[in-house]
Amino acid sequence: MLDPRYAWLRRLIALGLVLAMWEAAGRAGWLNPLFAPSPSKVWVALVDLFADGRIWPHLEATFSAALGGLALGIVVGVLLGVAAALIPLVAELLEPVMSVLNAIPRVILAPLFVIWLGIGIASKIALSFILVAVLIFFTVFTGIRQVDRKLVERVATLGGNRLALVRHVYLPSVTAWVLGNLKVAVGFAFTGACVGEFVAATHGPGYLLSFAQSTYNAALMFALILLILVVVMLIFVIAGRLERHLLRWN
Amino acid sequence: MPASRGCTTPRSPGANTLLHVRDLTISYGGEPVLERASLAVGEGSFVSLVGPSGSGKSSLLRAVIGLQQPLSGTVETTLTPAEIGLLFQDDALLPWKTARDNVVLGLTLNGMERGKALAEADTWLERLGLAGFGDRFPRHLSGGQRKRVALAQVLARRPKLILMDEPFASLDAIVRSRVIRDVVALVEQSGISVLLVTHDLEEALTLSDDVYLLSQGPRARITQHYHVPIPRPRDPVLSRTDPAFAPLYERLWADLSRAVDHRAEAA
Repeated sequence: MLDPRYAWLRRLIALGLVLAMWEAAGRAGWLNPLFAPSPSKVWVALVDLFADGRIWPHLEATFSAALGGLALGIVVGVLLGVAAALIPLVAELLEPVMSVLNAIPRVILAPLFVIWLGIGIASKIALSFILVAVLIFFTVFTGIRQVDRKLVERVATLGGNRLALVRHVYLPSVTAWVLGNLKVAVGFAFTGACVGEFVAATHGPGYLLSFAQSTYNAALMFALILLILVVVMLIFVIAGRLERHLLRWN
Repeated sequence: MPASRGCTTPRSPGANTLLHVRDLTISYGGEPVLERASLAVGEGSFVSLVGPSGSGKSSLLRAVIGLQQPLSGTVETTLTPAEIGLLFQDDALLPWKTARDNVVLGLTLNGMERGKALAEADTWLERLGLAGFGDRFPRHLSGGQRKRVALAQVLARRPKLILMDEPFASLDAIVRSRVIRDVVALVEQSGISVLLVTHDLEEALTLSDDVYLLSQGPRARITQHYHVPIPRPRDPVLSRTDPAFAPLYERLWADLSRAVDHRAEAA
Protein backbone atom coordinates (compact mmCIF):
# COMPACT_ATOMS: atom_id res chain seq x y z
CA MET A 1 0.00 0.00 0.00
CA LEU A 2 1.48 3.35 -1.07
CA ASP A 3 1.70 6.01 1.61
CA PRO A 4 0.09 9.12 0.05
CA ARG A 5 2.25 11.35 2.26
CA TYR A 6 5.34 10.39 0.26
CA ALA A 7 3.85 10.72 -3.23
CA TRP A 8 6.02 13.84 -3.83
CA LEU A 9 9.17 11.84 -2.97
CA ARG A 10 8.26 9.02 -5.35
CA ARG A 11 7.56 11.55 -8.12
CA LEU A 12 10.88 13.29 -7.44
CA ILE A 13 12.77 10.00 -7.59
CA ALA A 14 11.00 9.05 -10.85
CA LEU A 15 11.87 12.43 -12.37
CA GLY A 16 15.49 12.02 -11.21
CA LEU A 17 15.65 8.58 -12.84
CA VAL A 18 14.27 9.87 -16.15
CA LEU A 19 16.77 12.75 -16.15
CA ALA A 20 19.63 10.38 -15.25
CA MET A 21 18.71 7.99 -18.10
CA TRP A 22 18.35 10.93 -20.48
CA GLU A 23 21.76 12.25 -19.43
CA ALA A 24 23.34 8.80 -19.75
CA ALA A 25 21.80 8.30 -23.20
CA GLY A 26 23.11 11.69 -24.29
CA ARG A 27 26.64 11.00 -23.05
CA ALA A 28 26.62 7.55 -24.67
CA GLY A 29 25.85 9.25 -27.97
CA TRP A 30 22.45 7.58 -28.38
CA LEU A 31 20.68 10.95 -28.66
CA ASN A 32 21.41 13.58 -31.29
CA PRO A 33 22.20 16.81 -29.33
CA LEU A 34 20.76 18.82 -32.20
CA PHE A 35 17.30 17.47 -31.32
CA ALA A 36 17.56 16.32 -27.71
CA PRO A 37 20.43 17.86 -25.76
CA SER A 38 21.25 16.21 -22.44
CA PRO A 39 19.82 17.77 -19.25
CA SER A 40 23.27 19.05 -18.26
CA LYS A 41 23.50 21.02 -21.51
CA VAL A 42 20.02 22.44 -20.93
CA TRP A 43 21.05 23.40 -17.41
CA VAL A 44 24.18 25.14 -18.71
CA ALA A 45 22.06 27.08 -21.22
CA LEU A 46 19.68 28.08 -18.44
CA VAL A 47 22.47 29.20 -16.11
CA ASP A 48 23.98 31.09 -19.02
CA LEU A 49 20.79 33.08 -19.50
CA PHE A 50 20.92 34.28 -15.91
CA ALA A 51 24.71 34.51 -15.59
CA ASP A 52 25.08 37.49 -17.89
CA GLY A 53 21.73 38.95 -16.82
CA ARG A 54 20.40 39.16 -20.38
CA ILE A 55 17.24 37.22 -19.48
CA TRP A 56 15.81 39.90 -17.18
CA PRO A 57 14.72 42.41 -19.85
CA HIS A 58 13.10 39.50 -21.71
CA LEU A 59 11.21 38.31 -18.63
CA GLU A 60 10.20 41.87 -17.86
CA ALA A 61 8.79 42.26 -21.38
CA THR A 62 6.71 39.08 -21.05
CA PHE A 63 5.48 39.89 -17.55
CA SER A 64 4.53 43.43 -18.56
CA ALA A 65 2.63 42.20 -21.61
CA ALA A 66 0.92 39.29 -19.81
CA LEU A 67 -0.05 41.20 -16.67
CA GLY A 68 -1.13 44.23 -18.69
CA GLY A 69 -3.30 42.04 -20.92
CA LEU A 70 -4.62 40.15 -17.89
CA ALA A 71 -5.64 43.31 -16.01
CA LEU A 72 -7.20 44.93 -19.08
CA GLY A 73 -8.91 41.70 -20.08
CA ILE A 74 -10.44 41.23 -16.63
CA VAL A 75 -11.67 44.84 -16.41
CA VAL A 76 -13.13 44.93 -19.93
CA GLY A 77 -14.46 41.35 -19.71
CA VAL A 78 -16.27 42.11 -16.44
CA LEU A 79 -17.69 45.42 -17.72
CA LEU A 80 -18.92 43.93 -20.98
CA GLY A 81 -20.23 40.80 -19.23
CA VAL A 82 -22.19 42.88 -16.70
CA ALA A 83 -23.52 45.19 -19.43
CA ALA A 84 -24.61 42.26 -21.61
CA ALA A 85 -26.27 40.49 -18.68
CA LEU A 86 -28.21 43.58 -17.63
CA ILE A 87 -28.94 45.29 -20.97
CA PRO A 88 -30.61 43.03 -23.60
CA LEU A 89 -29.50 45.26 -26.51
CA VAL A 90 -25.84 44.97 -25.47
CA ALA A 91 -26.23 41.18 -25.21
CA GLU A 92 -27.85 41.07 -28.65
CA LEU A 93 -24.95 42.94 -30.21
CA LEU A 94 -22.06 41.47 -28.24
CA GLU A 95 -22.94 37.81 -27.88
CA PRO A 96 -22.44 36.84 -31.56
CA VAL A 97 -19.10 38.67 -31.73
CA MET A 98 -17.88 37.10 -28.51
CA SER A 99 -19.13 33.68 -29.60
CA VAL A 100 -17.12 33.93 -32.82
CA LEU A 101 -14.04 35.11 -30.92
CA ASN A 102 -14.53 32.27 -28.47
CA ALA A 103 -14.90 29.67 -31.21
CA ILE A 104 -11.75 30.55 -33.15
CA PRO A 105 -8.21 30.00 -31.87
CA ARG A 106 -7.65 33.64 -30.94
CA VAL A 107 -3.86 33.42 -31.31
CA ILE A 108 -4.42 33.66 -35.10
CA LEU A 109 -5.02 37.36 -34.47
CA ALA A 110 -1.36 37.80 -33.48
CA PRO A 111 -0.08 38.80 -36.97
CA LEU A 112 -2.94 41.28 -37.30
CA PHE A 113 -2.03 42.92 -33.99
CA VAL A 114 1.58 43.18 -35.15
CA ILE A 115 0.44 45.02 -38.28
CA TRP A 116 -1.84 47.28 -36.29
CA LEU A 117 0.28 47.91 -33.20
CA GLY A 118 3.84 47.12 -34.22
CA ILE A 119 6.32 44.63 -32.82
CA GLY A 120 6.52 46.37 -29.45
CA ILE A 121 4.71 45.45 -26.24
CA ALA A 122 1.32 46.80 -27.41
CA SER A 123 0.67 43.91 -29.82
CA LYS A 124 1.50 41.37 -27.04
CA ILE A 125 -0.79 43.11 -24.58
CA ALA A 126 -3.52 43.11 -27.22
CA LEU A 127 -3.23 39.36 -27.78
CA SER A 128 -3.21 38.61 -24.04
CA PHE A 129 -6.12 40.99 -23.61
CA ILE A 130 -8.30 39.38 -26.29
CA LEU A 131 -7.61 35.89 -24.91
CA VAL A 132 -8.53 36.93 -21.36
CA ALA A 133 -11.39 39.33 -22.13
CA VAL A 134 -13.45 36.74 -24.05
CA LEU A 135 -12.99 34.18 -21.28
CA ILE A 136 -13.99 36.66 -18.56
CA PHE A 137 -16.89 38.03 -20.62
CA PHE A 138 -18.54 34.61 -20.84
CA THR A 139 -17.74 33.84 -17.21
CA VAL A 140 -19.49 37.00 -16.02
CA PHE A 141 -22.28 37.04 -18.63
CA THR A 142 -23.44 33.49 -17.98
CA GLY A 143 -22.69 33.83 -14.27
CA ILE A 144 -24.96 36.83 -13.76
CA ARG A 145 -27.75 35.23 -15.75
CA GLN A 146 -27.48 32.15 -13.56
CA VAL A 147 -27.18 33.98 -10.26
CA ASP A 148 -29.15 32.21 -7.56
CA ARG A 149 -32.61 33.80 -7.69
CA LYS A 150 -33.19 32.82 -4.07
CA LEU A 151 -30.33 35.07 -2.99
CA VAL A 152 -31.69 37.95 -5.05
CA GLU A 153 -35.16 37.46 -3.58
CA ARG A 154 -33.69 37.10 -0.09
CA VAL A 155 -31.87 40.43 -0.21
CA ALA A 156 -34.87 42.08 -1.89
CA THR A 157 -37.24 40.82 0.80
CA LEU A 158 -34.84 42.01 3.50
CA GLY A 159 -35.41 45.48 2.10
CA GLY A 160 -32.44 45.68 -0.28
CA ASN A 161 -32.73 48.04 -3.26
CA ARG A 162 -30.94 47.61 -6.63
CA LEU A 163 -27.71 49.01 -5.23
CA ALA A 164 -27.85 46.57 -2.32
CA LEU A 165 -28.47 43.71 -4.75
CA VAL A 166 -25.42 44.71 -6.79
CA ARG A 167 -23.27 45.11 -3.68
CA HIS A 168 -24.36 42.04 -1.75
CA VAL A 169 -25.29 39.56 -4.49
CA TYR A 170 -24.04 40.41 -7.97
CA LEU A 171 -20.61 41.81 -7.11
CA PRO A 172 -19.58 38.90 -4.84
CA SER A 173 -20.95 36.45 -7.41
CA VAL A 174 -18.95 38.09 -10.22
CA THR A 175 -15.83 38.15 -8.05
CA ALA A 176 -16.25 34.46 -7.30
CA TRP A 177 -16.64 33.54 -10.98
CA VAL A 178 -13.67 35.67 -12.05
CA LEU A 179 -11.46 34.27 -9.31
CA GLY A 180 -12.62 30.77 -10.17
CA ASN A 181 -11.23 31.35 -13.66
CA LEU A 182 -8.16 33.33 -12.60
CA LYS A 183 -5.70 30.47 -13.15
CA VAL A 184 -7.06 29.85 -16.65
CA ALA A 185 -6.91 33.59 -17.34
CA VAL A 186 -3.28 33.76 -16.17
CA GLY A 187 -2.43 30.87 -18.47
CA PHE A 188 -4.19 32.64 -21.36
CA ALA A 189 -2.40 35.92 -20.63
CA PHE A 190 1.05 34.31 -20.76
CA THR A 191 0.08 32.30 -23.85
CA GLY A 192 -0.87 35.57 -25.56
CA ALA A 193 2.36 37.30 -24.54
CA CYS A 194 4.61 34.40 -25.58
CA VAL A 195 2.83 33.71 -28.88
CA GLY A 196 2.95 37.44 -29.68
CA GLU A 197 6.69 37.45 -29.02
CA PHE A 198 7.09 34.34 -31.12
CA VAL A 199 5.40 36.00 -34.09
CA ALA A 200 7.35 39.28 -34.06
CA ALA A 201 9.23 40.94 -31.23
CA THR A 202 12.55 42.25 -30.01
CA HIS A 203 12.24 40.99 -26.45
CA GLY A 204 10.76 38.16 -24.40
CA PRO A 205 11.20 34.40 -23.98
CA GLY A 206 8.93 33.92 -27.01
CA TYR A 207 11.32 36.00 -29.10
CA LEU A 208 14.30 34.04 -27.69
CA LEU A 209 12.48 30.80 -28.53
CA SER A 210 12.05 31.98 -32.10
CA PHE A 211 15.75 32.89 -32.18
CA ALA A 212 16.75 29.48 -30.73
CA GLN A 213 14.58 27.76 -33.33
CA SER A 214 16.15 29.65 -36.23
CA THR A 215 19.66 28.81 -34.96
CA TYR A 216 18.83 25.17 -34.15
CA ASN A 217 19.83 25.76 -30.52
CA ALA A 218 17.78 22.98 -28.88
CA ALA A 219 19.47 23.42 -25.48
CA LEU A 220 18.37 27.07 -25.35
CA MET A 221 14.88 26.05 -26.46
CA PHE A 222 14.59 23.48 -23.67
CA ALA A 223 15.97 26.02 -21.19
CA LEU A 224 13.44 28.63 -22.25
CA ILE A 225 10.54 26.17 -22.18
CA LEU A 226 11.61 25.14 -18.68
CA LEU A 227 11.89 28.77 -17.63
CA ILE A 228 8.42 29.67 -18.94
CA LEU A 229 7.04 26.54 -17.28
CA VAL A 230 8.51 27.47 -13.90
CA VAL A 231 7.41 31.09 -14.12
CA VAL A 232 3.84 30.20 -15.08
CA MET A 233 3.68 27.50 -12.39
CA LEU A 234 4.81 30.07 -9.81
CA ILE A 235 2.08 32.45 -10.94
CA PHE A 236 -0.42 29.59 -10.83
CA VAL A 237 0.54 28.92 -7.21
CA ILE A 238 0.14 32.60 -6.31
CA ALA A 239 -3.21 32.80 -8.18
CA GLY A 240 -4.35 29.57 -6.48
CA ARG A 241 -3.50 30.94 -3.04
CA LEU A 242 -5.26 34.22 -3.80
CA GLU A 243 -8.30 32.28 -5.01
CA ARG A 244 -8.31 30.05 -1.92
CA HIS A 245 -8.04 33.06 0.38
CA LEU A 246 -10.70 35.17 -1.32
CA LEU A 247 -13.04 32.24 -1.88
CA ARG A 248 -12.50 30.72 1.58
CA TRP A 249 -16.27 30.76 2.05
CA ASN A 250 -16.67 28.29 -0.80
CA MET B 1 -50.48 52.88 7.47
CA PRO B 2 -52.31 49.93 5.99
CA ALA B 3 -50.70 48.39 2.93
CA SER B 4 -52.47 46.44 0.26
CA ARG B 5 -51.40 44.41 -2.76
CA GLY B 6 -53.66 43.11 -5.45
CA CYS B 7 -56.31 44.30 -7.81
CA THR B 8 -59.04 45.79 -5.63
CA THR B 9 -59.35 48.90 -3.51
CA PRO B 10 -57.16 48.78 -0.39
CA ARG B 11 -59.01 48.05 2.81
CA SER B 12 -57.79 47.76 6.38
CA PRO B 13 -57.88 44.36 7.98
CA GLY B 14 -59.84 43.92 11.21
CA ALA B 15 -58.72 45.40 14.54
CA ASN B 16 -56.43 42.56 15.61
CA THR B 17 -55.83 41.11 12.18
CA LEU B 18 -52.33 41.70 10.84
CA LEU B 19 -52.87 40.08 7.47
CA HIS B 20 -55.98 39.54 5.46
CA VAL B 21 -55.90 37.68 2.16
CA ARG B 22 -59.14 38.09 0.24
CA ASP B 23 -60.28 36.13 -2.80
CA LEU B 24 -56.75 35.70 -4.08
CA THR B 25 -56.42 34.10 -7.50
CA ILE B 26 -52.99 33.32 -8.87
CA SER B 27 -52.14 32.22 -12.36
CA TYR B 28 -48.85 31.63 -14.15
CA GLY B 29 -50.40 32.34 -17.52
CA GLY B 30 -52.85 29.50 -18.00
CA GLU B 31 -55.35 27.94 -15.65
CA PRO B 32 -55.18 29.51 -12.16
CA VAL B 33 -53.12 27.48 -9.74
CA LEU B 34 -54.99 29.00 -6.80
CA GLU B 35 -58.51 30.39 -6.86
CA ARG B 36 -60.31 32.80 -4.54
CA ALA B 37 -58.28 31.98 -1.46
CA SER B 38 -59.10 33.94 1.67
CA LEU B 39 -57.52 33.74 5.09
CA ALA B 40 -56.64 35.95 8.02
CA VAL B 41 -53.76 36.02 10.48
CA GLY B 42 -54.50 37.65 13.81
CA GLU B 43 -52.06 39.34 16.16
CA GLY B 44 -50.00 36.72 18.01
CA SER B 45 -51.62 33.81 16.22
CA PHE B 46 -49.97 30.91 14.44
CA VAL B 47 -51.79 30.03 11.24
CA SER B 48 -50.97 27.18 8.88
CA LEU B 49 -51.92 26.61 5.30
CA VAL B 50 -51.79 22.94 4.35
CA GLY B 51 -52.43 21.24 1.08
CA PRO B 52 -51.02 18.80 -1.43
CA SER B 53 -48.16 19.65 -3.77
CA GLY B 54 -49.25 21.97 -6.55
CA SER B 55 -52.05 23.56 -4.56
CA GLY B 56 -50.47 27.01 -4.70
CA LYS B 57 -49.39 27.28 -1.06
CA SER B 58 -46.02 28.83 -1.86
CA SER B 59 -47.57 31.01 -4.56
CA LEU B 60 -49.89 32.49 -1.96
CA LEU B 61 -46.92 33.38 0.26
CA ARG B 62 -45.05 34.86 -2.70
CA ALA B 63 -48.11 37.00 -3.44
CA VAL B 64 -48.23 38.15 0.18
CA ILE B 65 -44.62 39.40 0.03
CA GLY B 66 -45.07 40.92 -3.41
CA LEU B 67 -42.92 38.48 -5.38
CA GLN B 68 -45.98 37.25 -7.29
CA GLN B 69 -48.64 39.47 -8.83
CA PRO B 70 -52.08 37.94 -8.24
CA LEU B 71 -54.62 37.74 -11.04
CA SER B 72 -57.27 39.09 -8.68
CA GLY B 73 -57.95 39.54 -5.00
CA THR B 74 -56.16 41.55 -2.34
CA VAL B 75 -53.54 41.17 0.34
CA GLU B 76 -54.21 43.63 3.15
CA THR B 77 -51.89 44.24 6.03
CA THR B 78 -51.33 46.84 8.72
CA LEU B 79 -47.61 46.03 8.68
CA THR B 80 -44.73 47.62 6.84
CA PRO B 81 -42.48 45.30 4.76
CA ALA B 82 -39.80 45.63 7.47
CA GLU B 83 -42.21 44.17 10.01
CA ILE B 84 -42.70 40.98 7.98
CA GLY B 85 -40.05 38.26 8.23
CA LEU B 86 -39.57 35.37 5.83
CA LEU B 87 -38.27 31.90 6.50
CA PHE B 88 -38.12 29.59 3.52
CA GLN B 89 -37.21 25.93 3.00
CA ASP B 90 -33.95 27.04 1.47
CA ASP B 91 -32.18 29.15 4.08
CA ALA B 92 -30.86 31.40 1.25
CA LEU B 93 -27.96 32.73 3.31
CA LEU B 94 -25.36 34.64 1.33
CA PRO B 95 -22.53 32.09 1.06
CA TRP B 96 -19.79 34.76 1.01
CA LYS B 97 -20.92 36.30 4.28
CA THR B 98 -20.30 34.81 7.70
CA ALA B 99 -23.21 33.79 9.90
CA ARG B 100 -22.86 37.08 11.79
CA ASP B 101 -22.70 39.18 8.62
CA ASN B 102 -25.80 37.46 7.25
CA VAL B 103 -27.71 38.49 10.36
CA VAL B 104 -26.15 41.97 10.25
CA LEU B 105 -27.25 42.40 6.62
CA GLY B 106 -30.90 42.01 7.57
CA LEU B 107 -30.48 44.77 10.14
CA THR B 108 -28.37 47.25 8.17
CA LEU B 109 -30.71 46.98 5.18
CA ASN B 110 -33.36 48.03 7.70
CA GLY B 111 -31.39 51.16 8.53
CA MET B 112 -29.59 50.04 11.69
CA GLU B 113 -26.07 51.35 12.25
CA ARG B 114 -23.46 48.59 11.70
CA GLY B 115 -21.93 48.64 15.19
CA LYS B 116 -25.33 48.20 16.81
CA ALA B 117 -26.26 45.57 14.22
CA LEU B 118 -23.13 43.54 15.05
CA ALA B 119 -24.02 43.51 18.75
CA GLU B 120 -27.62 42.62 17.97
CA ALA B 121 -26.54 39.82 15.63
CA ASP B 122 -24.29 38.30 18.28
CA THR B 123 -27.12 38.43 20.82
CA TRP B 124 -29.48 36.56 18.49
CA LEU B 125 -26.90 34.00 17.43
CA GLU B 126 -26.21 33.28 21.09
CA ARG B 127 -29.90 33.07 21.85
CA LEU B 128 -30.29 30.48 19.10
CA GLY B 129 -27.41 28.36 20.37
CA LEU B 130 -24.85 29.62 17.86
CA ALA B 131 -22.43 31.41 20.20
CA GLY B 132 -18.95 31.00 18.73
CA PHE B 133 -20.26 30.25 15.23
CA GLY B 134 -20.58 33.86 14.10
CA ASP B 135 -17.36 33.83 12.07
CA ARG B 136 -18.25 30.70 10.14
CA PHE B 137 -19.45 30.76 6.58
CA PRO B 138 -22.77 29.00 5.80
CA ARG B 139 -20.94 26.20 3.98
CA HIS B 140 -19.14 25.36 7.20
CA LEU B 141 -22.35 25.03 9.21
CA SER B 142 -24.73 22.09 9.47
CA GLY B 143 -28.25 22.24 8.02
CA GLY B 144 -29.71 22.89 11.47
CA GLN B 145 -27.18 25.62 12.20
CA ARG B 146 -27.86 27.32 8.88
CA LYS B 147 -31.57 27.23 9.62
CA ARG B 148 -30.89 28.86 13.00
CA VAL B 149 -28.82 31.59 11.32
CA ALA B 150 -31.70 32.23 8.91
CA LEU B 151 -34.03 32.35 11.91
CA ALA B 152 -31.69 34.77 13.72
CA GLN B 153 -31.65 36.93 10.57
CA VAL B 154 -35.45 37.06 10.66
CA LEU B 155 -35.96 37.45 14.41
CA ALA B 156 -33.24 40.10 14.84
CA ARG B 157 -35.37 42.41 12.71
CA ARG B 158 -38.12 42.03 15.36
CA PRO B 159 -40.89 41.21 12.90
CA LYS B 160 -44.54 41.21 13.88
CA LEU B 161 -45.37 38.54 11.33
CA ILE B 162 -43.22 35.72 9.96
CA LEU B 163 -44.12 33.95 6.75
CA MET B 164 -42.72 30.43 6.64
CA ASP B 165 -42.62 28.22 3.57
CA GLU B 166 -41.86 24.64 4.65
CA PRO B 167 -38.86 25.95 6.57
CA PHE B 168 -38.11 22.68 8.33
CA ALA B 169 -38.54 20.29 5.40
CA SER B 170 -34.83 19.99 4.63
CA LEU B 171 -33.82 19.07 8.19
CA ASP B 172 -33.41 15.58 9.59
CA ALA B 173 -35.90 14.43 12.27
CA ILE B 174 -33.89 15.24 15.40
CA VAL B 175 -32.58 18.63 14.24
CA ARG B 176 -36.02 19.43 12.91
CA SER B 177 -37.79 18.81 16.22
CA ARG B 178 -35.18 20.89 18.07
CA VAL B 179 -35.40 23.81 15.65
CA ILE B 180 -39.21 23.66 15.72
CA ARG B 181 -39.23 23.65 19.52
CA ASP B 182 -36.99 26.75 19.59
CA VAL B 183 -39.07 28.51 16.95
CA VAL B 184 -42.31 27.87 18.87
CA ALA B 185 -40.76 29.07 22.14
CA LEU B 186 -39.41 32.27 20.57
CA VAL B 187 -42.60 33.01 18.69
CA GLU B 188 -44.74 32.45 21.79
CA GLN B 189 -42.49 34.60 23.98
CA SER B 190 -42.40 37.46 21.50
CA GLY B 191 -46.05 37.30 20.48
CA ILE B 192 -45.07 37.12 16.82
CA SER B 193 -47.74 36.04 14.34
CA VAL B 194 -46.88 33.27 11.90
CA LEU B 195 -48.29 32.14 8.59
CA LEU B 196 -46.81 28.71 7.90
CA VAL B 197 -47.12 26.86 4.62
CA THR B 198 -46.61 23.12 4.95
CA HIS B 199 -47.77 19.79 3.60
CA ASP B 200 -47.10 18.15 6.97
CA LEU B 201 -50.43 17.82 8.79
CA GLU B 202 -48.84 16.94 12.14
CA GLU B 203 -46.61 19.97 11.97
CA ALA B 204 -49.55 22.19 11.14
CA LEU B 205 -51.67 20.92 14.03
CA THR B 206 -48.98 20.89 16.70
CA LEU B 207 -47.81 24.41 15.90
CA SER B 208 -50.92 26.29 14.87
CA ASP B 209 -53.95 27.99 16.35
CA ASP B 210 -55.70 27.87 12.99
CA VAL B 211 -55.24 25.62 9.98
CA TYR B 212 -56.55 26.29 6.48
CA LEU B 213 -56.82 23.37 4.06
CA LEU B 214 -56.23 23.79 0.36
CA SER B 215 -57.64 21.41 -2.22
CA GLN B 216 -55.58 19.87 -5.00
CA GLY B 217 -54.55 22.32 -7.74
CA PRO B 218 -54.97 23.62 -10.36
CA ARG B 219 -57.81 25.88 -9.27
CA ALA B 220 -57.05 24.95 -5.69
CA ARG B 221 -59.35 26.49 -3.13
CA ILE B 222 -59.35 26.79 0.64
CA THR B 223 -61.92 24.17 1.52
CA GLN B 224 -61.75 23.99 5.31
CA HIS B 225 -60.71 26.05 8.31
CA TYR B 226 -59.94 24.35 11.62
CA HIS B 227 -59.30 25.92 15.01
CA VAL B 228 -56.73 24.00 17.09
CA PRO B 229 -57.64 24.22 20.80
CA ILE B 230 -54.33 22.86 22.15
CA PRO B 231 -53.30 25.22 24.99
CA ARG B 232 -50.15 27.39 24.90
CA PRO B 233 -47.31 27.42 25.68
CA ARG B 234 -46.87 24.31 23.59
CA ASP B 235 -44.26 21.64 23.32
CA PRO B 236 -44.52 20.55 19.68
CA VAL B 237 -43.70 16.94 20.59
CA LEU B 238 -46.06 16.67 23.58
CA SER B 239 -48.84 18.44 21.67
CA ARG B 240 -49.40 15.17 19.82
CA THR B 241 -50.63 13.64 23.08
CA ASP B 242 -53.22 16.35 23.67
CA PRO B 243 -56.79 14.94 23.48
CA ALA B 244 -57.68 17.47 20.78
CA PHE B 245 -54.91 16.35 18.46
CA ALA B 246 -56.00 12.89 17.25
CA PRO B 247 -59.62 13.75 16.26
CA LEU B 248 -58.47 16.91 14.47
CA TYR B 249 -55.72 15.02 12.68
CA GLU B 250 -58.18 12.35 11.50
CA ARG B 251 -60.60 15.00 10.28
CA LEU B 252 -57.90 16.93 8.48
CA TRP B 253 -56.53 13.76 6.89
CA ALA B 254 -59.98 12.65 5.75
CA ASP B 255 -60.76 16.08 4.28
CA LEU B 256 -57.41 16.22 2.51
CA SER B 257 -57.83 12.71 1.10
CA ARG B 258 -61.30 13.59 -0.09
CA ALA B 259 -60.02 16.75 -1.78
CA VAL B 260 -57.25 14.85 -3.58
CA ASP B 261 -59.55 11.94 -4.55
CA HIS B 262 -62.22 14.31 -5.80
CA ARG B 263 -59.70 16.05 -8.06
CA ALA B 264 -58.33 12.70 -9.30
CA GLU B 265 -61.85 11.55 -10.21
CA ALA B 266 -62.62 14.83 -11.93
CA ALA B 267 -59.42 14.53 -13.94
